[in-house]
Amino acid sequence: MNNHRLLLAILNAAPLILFGLIVVTLSLLSDSFLSVANFRNIVNQAAPVAVMAIGMTFVLLVKGVDLSIGSVMYLVAVLMGLYLSGLPLVVVIAAVLLIGLVFGAVNATFITRFDIAPFIVTLATLFIIRGLALFLSGTRMVFQSDTIQTMGRSALFGVPYAIWILAIIAAIGWVVLSQTPYGRQIYAVGADPHAAEKAGIPVRRIVFSVFCICGVCAAIGAFISVSQIGAASATFGYQKEFPVIAAAVLGGTSLFGGRGGVFGSIFGAVLVQTTENGLVMLNADPYLYPLVAALIIFLAAWVDGRRTAITERLERRKIRVE
Amino acid sequence: MSNSTADTRVGGGGLRPLQILQRAISSGYLVFALTILYVLAVWPFVPEILSRTNLVAILLQVIPLFIAAMGLMLVLMVAQIDLSATSIMALSCVVGASIITAQGGYMAGSPMATIVAIVVILAIGIAFGLLNGFCTAYMEMPSFLVTLTTMMFFSGAAIWYTALHTASGSSIGSLPGSFVQLGYGGIFGIPYAGIAAVLIGLGTHFLLTGTVFGRWIVAVGFNPRAALVSGIPVRRVIVWTFVISGICSAIAGIIYTARLEAGMPILGQRILLDIIGATVIGGVSLFGGTGRVLGVFFGVLFLSVVDNGLQLMGLSLSSVFAIKGSVILFAALLDVLRHKMVARS
Repeated sequence: MNNHRLLLAILNAAPLILFGLIVVTLSLLSDSFLSVANFRNIVNQAAPVAVMAIGMTFVLLVKGVDLSIGSVMYLVAVLMGLYLSGLPLVVVIAAVLLIGLVFGAVNATFITRFDIAPFIVTLATLFIIRGLALFLSGTRMVFQSDTIQTMGRSALFGVPYAIWILAIIAAIGWVVLSQTPYGRQIYAVGADPHAAEKAGIPVRRIVFSVFCICGVCAAIGAFISVSQIGAASATFGYQKEFPVIAAAVLGGTSLFGGRGGVFGSIFGAVLVQTTENGLVMLNADPYLYPLVAALIIFLAAWVDGRRTAITERLERRKIRVE
Repeated sequence: MSNSTADTRVGGGGLRPLQILQRAISSGYLVFALTILYVLAVWPFVPEILSRTNLVAILLQVIPLFIAAMGLMLVLMVAQIDLSATSIMALSCVVGASIITAQGGYMAGSPMATIVAIVVILAIGIAFGLLNGFCTAYMEMPSFLVTLTTMMFFSGAAIWYTALHTASGSSIGSLPGSFVQLGYGGIFGIPYAGIAAVLIGLGTHFLLTGTVFGRWIVAVGFNPRAALVSGIPVRRVIVWTFVISGICSAIAGIIYTARLEAGMPILGQRILLDIIGATVIGGVSLFGGTGRVLGVFFGVLFLSVVDNGLQLMGLSLSSVFAIKGSVILFAALLDVLRHKMVARS
């Protein structure tokens, strides 16, 4: 029993240990790595993934998954560049949030009304939404307006605006998840949907809402990312779901539902970004990036699987004793 | 979401009086009927869809897809999924091609080269199937995430491996004739690939209906816990389905590679959706436990014909993407309807 607890503690700390190892290795290999400026740069670059990972956390908490966020990202970027470029910033932001909400709701409808597995629904919408966006863009590069590009470069009190947005979203996410009845209900649904249903929690409505939240977060992530880059190529957001899921899972959110939180996901996003930043600094072969990224996600999923198995064993033991 | 939270209202309401529709949805021949309807609908616009050359083209397109779909069917039947099938194709074939290519292949010119290449390709398929299966069954990781990451890893590795072996980095060409003929060649006018597909189809059918292992697959798919209690080696069954899926992907990869006359690292990226779509349309349930070889064949045929028709009508890649995505969604919807009707009766 104590062995299990020790193992659980090690598994819980695994991402932190990994982060520590990466930071130590990189600061030994490169002089410029360990500096406030570089860290700010990393968080700034990690902001889109972190925001989307917060949305993904909500979905993962109810045992769902959303694979379509990369395509939603691209669609948002295309619509922003082609149709929203002349409008005032407030209108653009409102439209971006609305687009995210609509596509989140589309996923949610298929999942809750028709009971199709979330990964199949979102795999299908991944292709449908990207097809739609490619049709609109004609696979050409889509450039953003000057307003958006200026915003991507702006900063407040020396902190880039992307980090401010991340901070705001994180604060909202934290309050919603840990300070409201709605947040408790999300955890309840994820831990045991049947029990939640019996306890009178509107399971379908909760599931519906988390996919909407994930869609909105994907749109915000797209907004931040596209403002930083200034343009979107046909591969913008392609396979972005991988680092996002990885970030959430590395941050301690379980794929089996019911466990996880906002700050862990931000940590996970920073960890993923630090690795990529380090690979760039070390002049690694660009072909190796996806291999390293895949290995990290794999590790995260493995840790999560072990952790869930051990937790279940521990809880089972407890029930029998009492 | 777990399906058991479903209430009877969803999907039931309007359908209950329509017994005919119910029967149609649960019929194995619905997809075949839809295929014929589709052809009849498209025919006035593109009459060449029924030409002899086009029908042969469709059939040739069906073969490798069907082989890959057989593997995925078994994985789906134990309520898992294999998203890495196409990247197994890509990586195994790039490695295979690097052995036999005339441009500095490891065994270029050797009479044994083609056989060695085929063995290596199949071995890689088996090894990756084992890896997927081991992680899913013994490490208790969700299969869709395991195979998503292995998909990412293998396709990344395939691109990297190609870049290491060629100057252009896009594909490994100059394959010997003995390998290339596996694509379109044949005896007595029957292509080798077709023979392989028929053998694999019959073999899978026999496996499912005539062997204990087949019964185990069904049992594990319906209820893994009950299967475990009944003494079925659930984990081993799951690993085996992934291994078979790996082998099937490798065989399909050989056919594609021989036809393209080059090992392409991006091989199969486009057909992942086709394979999943075809199996699900073909009546293989995502909830596990059900699947028929003939149904999957109809599913593959349906998707190939739809694809062919769209191409003949000159639709762009983006619309093909969107339409195929919708077809998958539609198939999943049919699956849920079927599942509910079975659950109710």
